[in-house]
Amino acid sequence: MRNYILKRLFGMVVVVFLVLTIAFVLVRLAPGDPAALMLGPDATPADTAALRARLGLDQPILIQYVTFIGHALRGDLGRSLFFNEPVLSVLAHRAEPTAFLALFSLLFSVAIAVPIGIFVAYRRGTVADQTAVSGAMLAASVPSFWTGLILQRWLATDLGWFPASGYGGPDASFLDRMGYLILPSFVLGIVNSALILRFCRASMLDVLGEDYIRTARSKGMSESRVVLRHALKNAAIPIVTVIGLTFALLVSGAVVTERVFNIPGMGNLVVGAVLRRDYPVIQGTLIVVATLYILINLGVDLLYLLIDRRVRY
Amino acid sequence: MKAYLTTALAAMLAVVATPVLAKDVINVAIIGEPDTLDPMVSTKDVVSIVTQHVVETLYTFDKSWAVAPLLAQDLPKISADGKTYDITLRQGITFSDGSKMDSADVVASLERWLKVASRGKTVADKVQSVTAKGPYEVEIKMKTPYAPLLSLLAFSNSAAAVYPSEIIPKGDGQIKDVVGTGPYKYGEHVPDQYLQLVRFDGFVPRKEPANGGSGKRGQVPDEIRFVPVPDPSTRVEGLLSGQFDFADSLPAESYDRIAASDKAKPVLLENFGWPMWAINHKAGLLTNKKIREALLAALPFDDMLFAAFGNDKFFKVDGAMYPKGWDWHTDAGTKLYNQNDPEKAQQLLKEAGYDGTPLRILTSRQYEFHYKMAEVAKQALEAAGFKVQMDVVDWATLGQRRDDPSLWDVYISHSPFLPEPALTDMWFASSRLGWSEPEKDKLAEAFVTETDPAKRKAIFAELQKKNYEDVGFIKIGNFNALLGESKALQGVDPSPWPYFWNASKK
Repeated sequence: MRNYILKRLFGMVVVVFLVLTIAFVLVRLAPGDPAALMLGPDATPADTAALRARLGLDQPILIQYVTFIGHALRGDLGRSLFFNEPVLSVLAHRAEPTAFLALFSLLFSVAIAVPIGIFVAYRRGTVADQTAVSGAMLAASVPSFWTGLILQRWLATDLGWFPASGYGGPDASFLDRMGYLILPSFVLGIVNSALILRFCRASMLDVLGEDYIRTARSKGMSESRVVLRHALKNAAIPIVTVIGLTFALLVSGAVVTERVFNIPGMGNLVVGAVLRRDYPVIQGTLIVVATLYILINLGVDLLYLLIDRRVRY
Repeated sequence: MKAYLTTALAAMLAVVATPVLAKDVINVAIIGEPDTLDPMVSTKDVVSIVTQHVVETLYTFDKSWAVAPLLAQDLPKISADGKTYDITLRQGITFSDGSKMDSADVVASLERWLKVASRGKTVADKVQSVTAKGPYEVEIKMKTPYAPLLSLLAFSNSAAAVYPSEIIPKGDGQIKDVVGTGPYKYGEHVPDQYLQLVRFDGFVPRKEPANGGSGKRGQVPDEIRFVPVPDPSTRVEGLLSGQFDFADSLPAESYDRIAASDKAKPVLLENFGWPMWAINHKAGLLTNKKIREALLAALPFDDMLFAAFGNDKFFKVDGAMYPKGWDWHTDAGTKLYNQNDPEKAQQLLKEAGYDGTPLRILTSRQYEFHYKMAEVAKQALEAAGFKVQMDVVDWATLGQRRDDPSLWDVYISHSPFLPEPALTDMWFASSRLGWSEPEKDKLAEAFVTETDPAKRKAIFAELQKKNYEDVGFIKIGNFNALLGESKALQGVDPSPWPYFWNASKK
């Protein structure tokens, strides 16, 4: 077990190093000049060149890479060209909205998808089943920006039930800020619930056809006990896997939803960073996201141990 | 005991009866996060919009875009030869860090402006000295007369901002904590979330009535909060839901919806700016004058504007470099505008010996109207015999590529109507366009050195005519900007750089 975790952590270091290198190369392959963007439309070529020199962007790419790796090994992901503060600090400021947006939307997804998935698997082939499967297909097919815009216009602008956008001002309390996340979380939750619902239904269908379920029923157990205790427990591993993957994707930045609702999270940050060619922020975000992704996957794998005692690493 | 109880009861009642004064806060949705709070080092409009509330210049513009004093007592005394500017400063002005403003601060600020600001650098080689002649007197000596100087000193973009000399870094370093003499000072700043400006209690307003940027800056709201909202639809929804009191730069298609709202109203900023085709005179196809003339002859300006803005409420087919009503307005040369004559263009291409080399149009979808104009123009140009290559890139890439003359023939951009024509650098051979022609260069030089306003106006008419004859750069027309404000908001003048110090809510 300890060896397994150590092996996975070592693998993580290799993956993060590869991500770091790929991120460095990719952002520099993209055309576009951060200095020109920072100075504005009327800056002269000489001003732009001077700023490039000040930012170290005129150095040969190999020197930039070695410097970057050297700093990264010391835990320094560089300074944002745009915000002029350390990348880790920029990312830390964006962590709260993104983490809670991911958490709330996952809660919405699970609250919607798991009960429905179990129910329609149990009622396979009925109108309820077909409606749920079609609804899930629809939710997965409609782009989240469209759902976001429609719900924003209806529930926020027209009915005034939620704030239309943002994350609160200087006087907003923690609860106020969380209030700004309800509608975007719901939008994101709907989209992700489709995937979880389908996995949950499929996994439950597999299990409900097993011999031990028949045996449980023949022993006179109630249907709720059969479904929730015996079937669900055995169907849980694929469901937990997909929930874990969904959460990792959500943490990596619900880019579109954050943009539509103007939430100052990591998704919004990375879109802005790409448009501004803020290389250190793009690189830093990719590294943090890759690390989180791997850690969440590791967490999910370890969760299997709790769900199924037969699993051994 | 009884007296004590009475006093205590009275005190309690007083506390209960005292109304809690709600803060008067104006929430403004802007198009993005300002990348600096120092307007000297940026030419971005979003930086100007925010920073003008905090940082002031010696001069500013009134409603009719005439230069008016701000930190200076009056307009300067200019010597007969146009080379010496004597500036008297207002006394009793305080920076928001508590220090008093005097001539040493102004001299240090102007010296930095000449060294680090894009617009300051354009005039630096013409300035002989900037000297303090007394605690509140500053003298600027020029090597040659330079008429646009006052406009440059008044502009909030790449601004000649006045800072305390103590915070000005040596060399070209950045100012860490920006302070100014303006009606507001920076409060809390959470990047990408909000920038709070709070009233600066030590502010000393001018006595004259408010007139555009000049006159009394009222400090009416307690706070102004600028909220960066990059997505235009989100700005519209925020405005209509009542979250924002003012929203900058809204999509034209949202006009009717805003007009139908019970919370907000549309504000049309007429003659906001002009889309342009910048022409590469340094390299490539358009170094040939006949081909430039063919380009001008072929372009269908009216169709391009209609495609770009969709509704004639938002544009005007107008070839004059400044709209009617501006001092600089002239129709000189505009008979060559909107010719829409493919036969003439074909003939000119034939005379030029055009060999089918593609005309490379560098454009972006950052501003959708740039791209739409290019799409319509492409068809017209191809009908006239041009081969056209559309290089559609993102704004960052365009910003980089336009600095390399080997990569483009035309790039598309736009500008607000600037108060002084010389602030548009494309008139000058030193710009990235590299437009140089002996007669035009002579006119451009005369335009900046002539100090008589009437003569300058006449020279500008000649310059505009020359622009059409030599096809230096191409103005496509005028366009209006759509802004939106809450129906409860009053006291905001429509401007490309809106300010809120006199704004209040009903």
